[in-house]
Amino acid sequence: MTRLGTLAVVTATSAAIAAPFFLKPYGIFLISTWAVLTIAAIGLNLTLGYAGQISLAQGAFVGIGAYTVALLTPLGVPFFVAFIAAGLLCFAIGWGLGYPALRVQHHYLAFVTLAFTTLVFLVLRNEQWLTNGIYGITGTPRPTILGWKTNGGQDFYFLCLSILTILSFATWWMLRSPWGRAFVALRENPIRALSLGLDTRRYTLMAFAIGSSLGGLSGALYAPLVQFIEPNSFALGLSFNLLLMVIVGGSGNFFGPFVGALVAVLLPEWLRITQGYYLILYAAAIMVMMAFCPAGLLGLVERAAKALNDRRANATIPVRAEGAGT
Amino acid sequence: MTAVLEVANLRKAFGGVIAVDGVSFDVHAGEILGIIGPNGSGKSTLFNCVLGQLQPSAGEVRIDGQVTTGARPCDLNRLGVSRTFQLLQVFPQLSVRDNLILAGQEHQGSMASRLFGRADAGLGEAAAQMIEFFRLSHLAEEQAGLLSYGQQKLLDAAMAFMAGPRLVLLDEPAGGINLTMLGHLRERLQAYHTERKATFVVIEHQMEFVMALCTRVLVLAEGRLIAEGAPYDIRRNPIVIEAYLGH
Repeated sequence: MTRLGTLAVVTATSAAIAAPFFLKPYGIFLISTWAVLTIAAIGLNLTLGYAGQISLAQGAFVGIGAYTVALLTPLGVPFFVAFIAAGLLCFAIGWGLGYPALRVQHHYLAFVTLAFTTLVFLVLRNEQWLTNGIYGITGTPRPTILGWKTNGGQDFYFLCLSILTILSFATWWMLRSPWGRAFVALRENPIRALSLGLDTRRYTLMAFAIGSSLGGLSGALYAPLVQFIEPNSFALGLSFNLLLMVIVGGSGNFFGPFVGALVAVLLPEWLRITQGYYLILYAAAIMVMMAFCPAGLLGLVERAAKALNDRRANATIPVRAEGAGT
Repeated sequence: MTAVLEVANLRKAFGGVIAVDGVSFDVHAGEILGIIGPNGSGKSTLFNCVLGQLQPSAGEVRIDGQVTTGARPCDLNRLGVSRTFQLLQVFPQLSVRDNLILAGQEHQGSMASRLFGRADAGLGEAAAQMIEFFRLSHLAEEQAGLLSYGQQKLLDAAMAFMAGPRLVLLDEPAGGINLTMLGHLRERLQAYHTERKATFVVIEHQMEFVMALCTRVLVLAEGRLIAEGAPYDIRRNPIVIEAYLGH
């Protein structure tokens, strides 16, 4: 990472730590939502951005994770056990969902995952004995960790931020390892990857499973954050929103989901001052953004940094030439 | 001499079209075998059947005496068989160095150990040597997609050698590159062959390249093997001349 990049990360981390001390409760709720949804977006970025497997099912995995925690914690299961169970359950289901990806690609795969999201929504809505149907589940408790109660908004935000940090580090580790290179190979040229000894079948399933697992872990924090979950929250809209986060931030860019989630969570709130027009403006802003920076906001930043470097390099050439001549 | 690759009565049909029709040949250790033939003669289909990209309709493939007919390409690669493709197949977003590490990493430990091990899978030094061997040192950190076509062809060939394979199948390595780069590629392939005693099978249209590089040549036409011999003899074979030039 460049010096400027390191500085940006340090500044952003400091801002994330300091932010709740300057915000009202609703503001803290929003940045907690950002932290939680960023985890799901990181998962989707892994599946889509790195491994190139399109998925419209990430919202469904957030739902499965949320319901797992909401159903297990009232039974006396400790939060972190339920949290891990949510991740493992989504890993297993994600592995299963990865099998169609071995046969179909691109928009066909998008339809398979879209059907899965619809299926999960129908189960959450119709299986009332388990999920309480359209009435949803209220009051999922926020955990206490070694005596630290996270009932307050600020405390729970720091819990979410800590988990986001740990999961981000784990994902970064994986992406810098040979696995990360294998995922990119899967996206760019699976036939060549196969001929180089990569078991593309196993890596595809792994990309789906890990991405889904991160969706589940995000959901496991979402339930105690909002303390009321119902099926509509995890319908196709959430999957599209998560896809938007990945694309707007920069698909295949490690920090893309952080930026994308920030835009997707905060921009609608900032535009609320325009009252009834806010959704129109939000949609227009996204369309303009995509038209001018299809590589996402971080792609735009990288382009600007490269242009600046090129300009600097060009500016130094005549100086060197003059120096050489003397 | 030991046969590294044995192909017996290989046949591949696409509906009513027979692309490869009962082809048999052996490749011996340390040999550079050339396969030539007019367009549509079944050369690439033959490669794809040998390397698991296509399932043959009939026949048998053996590598080091072990039957590998229909085995997956990744399993064949782990047996020490590597290949290049007719069209460029590098990973454009990865650097030259990462392309080479990727080409060898699956031969290093288990999948789990690769997750927790070193980022370069312990191949940093080997990749640097390969980069130097193919004279790409000045481009090591460049994205592969930004390289010229000829440089990408060199990288493509270097990737095939990264895992130290026993048998390398090169599908039109000279296709689309200029004469200078062609000479450079041929010289590097010959140097690799001399240094490592590797076995090559080369499909190529560029006759000078085949004649200078290969020790034996097979000729395919309409899916059938029509001639086999030393490059000098093949060049003068009337059946081969007819197959290439027609009546």
